[in-house]
Amino acid sequence: MSAFLALIRAAFQRELEHRSRSIARIFGTLVDILARISIWQAVFAGHGSMNGITLSQMITYALIGGTILSSWDATMIVREVGGTIRTGAIGSTLLRPVAYPVMLLAEQLGSRFFDWLMTSLPVILIMGLIYGVQPPASLGHGLLFLGFLVVSLAVLMLSGILIGLFSFWVFDAHSLEWFMRGILAVLSGGLVPIWFFPKGLAEVAHVLPFSWITYHPMAVYLGERDLAASSLTLLAGGAWVLVLAGAVSFVWSRACGQVVVQGG
Amino acid sequence: MRETLSLLFYLMRLRVRTRLEFRASLVIAWAAQAFGYAGVFTSIWLILTRFENIGGWTWPQMALLLGFHTLGYALGACFTLVQLRRMEEIVLGGEFDTLLVRPLNPWAYLVFSGFNIEYGGHILLGAGLILWALPQLAVHWTVGTSLLMVGSLLSAALITASLITIISACAMVLGRARYLFGIYFDFWELSRYPASIFAGPFQIALLSIMPLGYMAYVPVSVLLGRTVPYLGSAAGLAALAAGPLSVAAAFFFWRFCLRRYQGGGG
Repeated sequence: MSAFLALIRAAFQRELEHRSRSIARIFGTLVDILARISIWQAVFAGHGSMNGITLSQMITYALIGGTILSSWDATMIVREVGGTIRTGAIGSTLLRPVAYPVMLLAEQLGSRFFDWLMTSLPVILIMGLIYGVQPPASLGHGLLFLGFLVVSLAVLMLSGILIGLFSFWVFDAHSLEWFMRGILAVLSGGLVPIWFFPKGLAEVAHVLPFSWITYHPMAVYLGERDLAASSLTLLAGGAWVLVLAGAVSFVWSRACGQVVVQGG
Repeated sequence: MRETLSLLFYLMRLRVRTRLEFRASLVIAWAAQAFGYAGVFTSIWLILTRFENIGGWTWPQMALLLGFHTLGYALGACFTLVQLRRMEEIVLGGEFDTLLVRPLNPWAYLVFSGFNIEYGGHILLGAGLILWALPQLAVHWTVGTSLLMVGSLLSAALITASLITIISACAMVLGRARYLFGIYFDFWELSRYPASIFAGPFQIALLSIMPLGYMAYVPVSVLLGRTVPYLGSAAGLAALAAGPLSVAAAFFFWRFCLRRYQGGGG
């Protein structure tokens, strides 16, 4: 556990070193959020509400969903796994006292925590002051949202690691990264919430684990579900986390058999 | 001049032949990148199925805009992005010094020797969207509009190549440039939507210092007969001129940075 925490801390400190990159990231996220808010302002111009959802709710969805619950950078995990395999660095990771997927998880968590603190919070603060951001629907919804935040992070990281581990067989992490981007762009509800999907696609998207990344946490935050239904959804998300963790463990055990270290 | 051109063409051919050695991987890369873009475009389509339009733009109009944007970008990026995105490493690793002593312009060497054919997916997706959208739109086809369409696609490619060149040239002076690509792509993503939905300062930025509005929004608006704020009747001409003007700016900026380059290696 101490090694896991040390890796998180190291990743956080590494991010801290790149100050100009952090400033660029804040600026970039501001531009991204501005685009999302402008889109919703434009489409809601002729409608007071749609499916019971108001513009004010969608601005909050864009602001929190596009920062704390954003999925875009998670595809970097796939790129990192691909690079480790391509350069042969995977050989040295096998010598370490922490399993490679756990190490990846810790490093990504460190980067993510840094991102929340140094990018997401300032952006929410700045854009919230300009456009307004709604608080959670109730104290209960707010507390449940914290649980959803953990599930969202776990689903995002574990699915990224799982897809990345397939590089052991596919050898083309770049393509896997793009496939993951395409899937997450739609099925996480990152840009468009699932309540605006056509019925058939919505039913599929609701049960897949990707919807726990952005859509379900935001639906709970905005109070679109009562507390009992939200709790059940949180449990279902927890079950998906266990399934994905099991899948990562299984694929990693198979991937280890693929590694052949040349030279010494 | 003729020898230089034939050498650059030879370098391009070498690069293409190398990449074609792994054909299955190439086709998977095309499919994967097209799939990644299709995911984002599907999200935009989902908004339009529910709300009918974004700032007055319907799905066929948006499809033409997205197709134009993707195709123009791919045509410019295949010559520049992957090659010049690593300019920071090229400078800091000392590789740029070795390029300067070769009897060939370093920019031309980098661009042509790294010609990237992985944009097949972008091109197929972009061209596919344009071909699907055009018959559904009331575009008044004349020689002028046809020339505008072809010319502004080339202009979009030149804008892409120029901006990537300008950003990469910063590495010669600052030593760093990679994070600037992040800012470029944030504005690039803005430019796949109708600029008219954004606040005034962003519209002006997209039509001036960051001329990505000319990649798709301005030419497609002219083709569809829509008014372009701030440009009015000059929009068509501006769409055609933006590419060559960007090239001129990139040329002078590259030269400016090259004159100030003092070596990045240790």
